[in-house]
Amino acid sequence: MTYEEFADSRLTALLRYAVMLTGDPHQAQDLVQETMVRAQLNWRRVARADSPERYVRRMLTNQYVDWRRGSWVRRVLLRAETDDAVPVSTDHAQNAVDRDQVWTWLSRLPRRQRATLVLRYYEDLPDAEIAEILGCAVGTVRSSISRALATLRAEYVEA
Amino acid sequence: MIEDDLHAAFERHESLTPPTGPLRAAIDRIAAVRRRRRRRTTLGGATLALLAVTGLGAAPLVTPAKAPERAEFLAGPTGGEPVGAMNLLLLGVDSSGPQPPMADSILLVHVPADRSRLYLLSIPRDLKVAVPGHGSEKINAAFASGSRREGRQPDLGAGYSLTSQVVARLTGVRVDAGAVLTYPVLRKITDAVGGVELCLPTEVLSFHTGRTYPAGCQHLDGAASVDLLRQRRTLADDSQDRDRNAQQFAAALVRRADERGVLHDPVRVSRLAADIGPHLTLSSASGSLLDLLALVPRLRSAEVVGLNLPAVLVDAPAHRYEPDPAAAPELLAALREDRLAAWVAAHPERVTGPR
Repeated sequence: MTYEEFADSRLTALLRYAVMLTGDPHQAQDLVQETMVRAQLNWRRVARADSPERYVRRMLTNQYVDWRRGSWVRRVLLRAETDDAVPVSTDHAQNAVDRDQVWTWLSRLPRRQRATLVLRYYEDLPDAEIAEILGCAVGTVRSSISRALATLRAEYVEA
Repeated sequence: MIEDDLHAAFERHESLTPPTGPLRAAIDRIAAVRRRRRRRTTLGGATLALLAVTGLGAAPLVTPAKAPERAEFLAGPTGGEPVGAMNLLLLGVDSSGPQPPMADSILLVHVPADRSRLYLLSIPRDLKVAVPGHGSEKINAAFASGSRREGRQPDLGAGYSLTSQVVARLTGVRVDAGAVLTYPVLRKITDAVGGVELCLPTEVLSFHTGRTYPAGCQHLDGAASVDLLRQRRTLADDSQDRDRNAQQFAAALVRRADERGVLHDPVRVSRLAADIGPHLTLSSASGSLLDLLALVPRLRSAEVVGLNLPAVLVDAPAHRYEPDPAAAPELLAALREDRLAAWVAAHPERVTGPR
């Protein structure tokens, strides 16, 4: 698979995944941009992987989780210009406010826990694959999910 | 259930996803910039790799005494990776004529202790210096004086030794290792990598072959590269322009060797080494050359910075220069104290290439 083919078929899915991780279209663009630049420069290594898609998703997830090591968050914070290409969120209907509390709570979770939830409940991946992407044990994935769900349940009770 | 709420929340926010068109273009643009920058920064490591690699196949190891030096060399790395700043001396020598050979290009490669960059300091060949045992001479003649052997082939090792003493005295730094590159060696190396891509700022007319090298980028084979490197008289700025061409050539050569994978392919490396080894003269004052090789991985990302030792014309008829009293001492002090990064930051206009 060439880089071009990969970008043609997978870029949209990766960007959607990044939106779920970051909760913000601009941050998602920067995250995908940084990841895909690195993937393109090291494409031979990426293409050698059993699944290039999983490999890139793992790169992207690590980039997101290890924000202290990477520089993309700093760049996002320094970025001033707005991007007209990004559509305004259509979620302003009054009846959506209650449901969107879940989305707000998600943003308060530790990044690793949020990534686990996105992989589980958005990408619908099995625990083993989530463990591979996050580079941890299956047990860690399960405990991470249950801890995140417990936090969200506590928010429900308070709300 | 909370799981269902999560599912729903994620799906609802799919609409936040921006279009991918502009993003894809930005990715390609940034990747292209970084690819260029990466190629430039890997040159540093490749330069040293080429030096070390050619050193591996070197049969005639000179100073101080042949036998023990070779035994030590064959024994493999002795002290592991060398620490601290290092200075390597590369001499480009024209040994084609009947006269004793002179050093056309004198290049001091400074490797700082932090290994962040490689500095190529060109020393003008017309610099007037005191040569031990030979009075006051131009620095390029030190090689001839040292290598002269009445009625016999010149001793390139002895020429190197004397030049390296002069350079050490001039700059105040210790020369840790070095090599003598004759034009046949350069021609063989260039042909072994399939020629080089060289970009000239102005047209160059060959005094020796009458060939014209147009301004701009061109592909040159070994013979053409050597012809170009010998040119001095027809250049606007004489030997300073030749030093600049030599720096460009060195960068182009290692870029080519790196691109073609010559440096990463043991078979091709050993073939190249066997081919040029017998013609190459090398010297290592401290430790074995394999220790130098241990540095290569650290230097792969080092930036290459080309510099000239600032000089002023003091004797026009004889075309003799002396180190510029206004600028040279400061540069040499920075070199001795391993502070070249700060010096370059303060004098960006002194950087000649190959960036």
